[in-house]
Amino acid sequence: MTSESDAAVIRASLEEPGRFGALFDRHATVLFRYLVRRVGVDDAEALLGEVFRVGFEKRATYDGARPNARPWLYGIATHLLARHRRSEARRIHATARLLGRQAPAEDPTDHIATTLDAAVLWPHVADAVARLPIEERDALILYVWEELSYEEIASALDVPLGTVRSRLNRARMSLRELRASIGRQQ
Amino acid sequence: MSDDFDPLRALRPDRVRPDDPAEPTIFAREKERLMSTIGDTTQQVSRELRMPDIYARLAYEDERAALAYLVRVFQLAEIREARTDMGDSLLAWLRVGDGVVMIGHANAEIHRIHSPHSLGNTTVQMMVYVHDVDAHFAHAVAEGADITMPVQDAFYGERRYEATDLEGHRWHFAERFADIKARGGTVPDNPSGGQA
Repeated sequence: MTSESDAAVIRASLEEPGRFGALFDRHATVLFRYLVRRVGVDDAEALLGEVFRVGFEKRATYDGARPNARPWLYGIATHLLARHRRSEARRIHATARLLGRQAPAEDPTDHIATTLDAAVLWPHVADAVARLPIEERDALILYVWEELSYEEIASALDVPLGTVRSRLNRARMSLRELRASIGRQQ
Repeated sequence: MSDDFDPLRALRPDRVRPDDPAEPTIFAREKERLMSTIGDTTQQVSRELRMPDIYARLAYEDERAALAYLVRVFQLAEIREARTDMGDSLLAWLRVGDGVVMIGHANAEIHRIHSPHSLGNTTVQMMVYVHDVDAHFAHAVAEGADITMPVQDAFYGERRYEATDLEGHRWHFAERFADIKARGGTVPDNPSGGQA
């Protein structure tokens, strides 16, 4: 039973709706952590159930060729997050301030942090990320924080693989420019 | 890994500050809602979702081993839907009767709680009432428990024993004489005869 794929569970839930609960058991904790990272605990609590309710409503359109439904659920969650851009901006700025107050020695990015006061650097990064077009930011966060593969991101956002590549490339260029501009200010 | 994404990687909120646990029952609650939306009432998700208004959190250096030990040796029951697994650490809630104890990783930075194993001492004892303390004791012994006080009848009308778990937390397991009698067990007429 435990080896039954998500696709099989979803198919079975068309006849027996209760079967859909297994998807929650398998993926709710991971999806919840994703929501918390982006918008904080309060909004995440409100969104978690919605992700699965939306999934349940859409289950007839699930692509049965994809055994693992996690990217699909990521996609639903990401879509719902679009209404929470303010919480997201607040959250990343708060995280940047917190990181800025921590000792530079704890910085995993010593190579830039050493050239600039951490308290100045991190808000810049937060700004840059918050200002990215939403489709670039979604792809970027799924890749960097959630560690999804290009294929999984394509599946989550329902776009071709090439689109994921180009979005990530544009986001990469923005972050690289940020680095360069911070370097010039020194 | 080092690339242009490093700054964003460093900004992942739970890297900057490990998240406080969410209300541990959120998963049970949300699943229950989901199932009722779906119209499925055949699956009862949980019998009792609410946590007591006060409960203890015990710190372990290896909380995964502790979780397995407490379930296997002391027969505590994990509230499985509350478990929050963060990969490198874990939060779990264990139930005995109407009581709950939470276990998590020793955390000197944020919560400032330590394992007795690193301190060399402990300041807490968990007081637990169980059904059939004799059987509970026999089971714990069979599972290799470190018994710090064998089963004794206490003058105040309880039978109890004590054990120390794998990282040095102290556990006191007891059963009231009235409950022992109710299950057909025998209790001493005059338990105050020397033991306290």
